[in-house]
Amino acid sequence: MPKVLIVDDTAFMRKLLRNILFSGGFDIVGEAENGKQAVELYKQLKPDVVTMDIVMPEMNGIEALKEIKKMDPQAKVVMCTAVGQEQMVKTAIKLGAKGYIVKPFQAPKVIEELKKVAGMS
Amino acid sequence: MSEKVLRFPVEYFDGGWKKGEAVVDKTSLSFAGVRIPFKDIQDLEKVQYEGKNAIRIKKDNKNYYISFGKTQDQIFRYLAFNLKSDRFAVYFLSPATRGGVVVKDSKWDKGYLCITDEALWFLSSSKQIRISVDSLGSVEKDLRTVGKKQRVVLVITHVENGEVITSFVLCPETTLEMLQNYIQNIIDTYKPKDKLSEVEEQILTMVYTGVDSVGVESILGISTEELNKLYDKLVDMGLARVVKIRKEIELTPRGVALVNDIMKKAAVR
Repeated sequence: MPKVLIVDDTAFMRKLLRNILFSGGFDIVGEAENGKQAVELYKQLKPDVVTMDIVMPEMNGIEALKEIKKMDPQAKVVMCTAVGQEQMVKTAIKLGAKGYIVKPFQAPKVIEELKKVAGMS
Repeated sequence: MSEKVLRFPVEYFDGGWKKGEAVVDKTSLSFAGVRIPFKDIQDLEKVQYEGKNAIRIKKDNKNYYISFGKTQDQIFRYLAFNLKSDRFAVYFLSPATRGGVVVKDSKWDKGYLCITDEALWFLSSSKQIRISVDSLGSVEKDLRTVGKKQRVVLVITHVENGEVITSFVLCPETTLEMLQNYIQNIIDTYKPKDKLSEVEEQILTMVYTGVDSVGVESILGISTEELNKLYDKLVDMGLARVVKIRKEIELTPRGVALVNDIMKKAAVR
C-alpha cells in the first residue's frame, strides 16, 4: 500500500483527498497545511507519494517541492492545481514534480494519476 | 460535398425508424417531405436514439432524428459547418483536460469557434465538437505556451458526462476579449440566482468528485437529515438531480437475535 502525504491549506480539500485516496488503496500517513509542514513531515514519514497544493501560506507548494527534492531527488510529488495555474505547474514539472491534477477533480482520475506516479499501474 | 445535390439512403424517426432518402444541396437538407434550410437549424447533435446512432436536427423547436449510416460523420461535418452561427476563426485545443487530468493526445486545431443559441462549437476538418450552452462552466484568460511562445488563451470549461472538460482558444487578443465577454454572458444566464453557502459548495464539490452520501456526511460531520435538506436545496436550484433514494434500516428483534447467533458461531470457529 503506497504511503501518501497530503498537502493542502484547506481542511476540506485534505479530507476530500484522504477519502478518495483511502478508497483507492493508499495509506495516508500524514497531512500538512502548508509547505513548511510538508517538508518536515516528508523528512519524518518518507512517503511514497506527495499530493502538493500550490498556493499555500507560509511556504507555497513550489518552494516545498524544491526543498523536498533537495532532500530526496527521487521524491514523487503530484501537484494539485486550479485552472489558471499552468505557469506554476510548468515550474513544478521543471523542478521535478512527477505529475499534476487539476481541481475540481474526479476520484477515479486522481487515483489513476497517483497509482501511475507510485508505479502501481 | 462539393456536388450540387447529394442523395443518401437514410432512416428517419417518425414514430419508428423508417427508410427513405435524404437530399443535401447547398442550402438545405430534405427527407420524407421535410425541407430543412441550414439557416433554420437551431441545433444539431450526434445522439443515440431509439437504438440507432443518429443526428438530431432541431428546427422550429422540433427535433428530427435521422440516421445516415456510413455517411453520418461526413453529413454531420457538413451540417455543422453550415450552421447559422456567430463564427470566429481561432486555434483551439479541445479537450485539453478531462476530469482534472491532461488529455495527452489532444492537439491544437485550426478552425472556428461558432456560437449558436443552444451550443458553442469547435469546428475543424477533423473535429466538430458541440458544447451545450447550459453545460458551460467558466471562461477566463490565461497564459499558455503555444508553439514555444507564451500566449494569452481563453480557457473554457464545460461538463460532459459528469466530468469537467477544459478547452483552450487562441486568436487575436481583441477577439479573445470579445469572446470572453460573449461566453461569460451566456454562462451568467445559466448561473443560479441564489448564492451557495460554504457547506453547499463543498457538497457540490464532493458529489462531483464521486464521494457518496456516507462519505459526505462523514467529511462534513453532519447527519443524514441535514444532508437530505441540503441535497433538496441543490436539487431545487437545478444544480443536482436525485438518482437514488438511500434506505436506512434498523433491526427487528428477530434481526438482533440473528446477529447474536452469527457472533456466537464466529466465536466457536
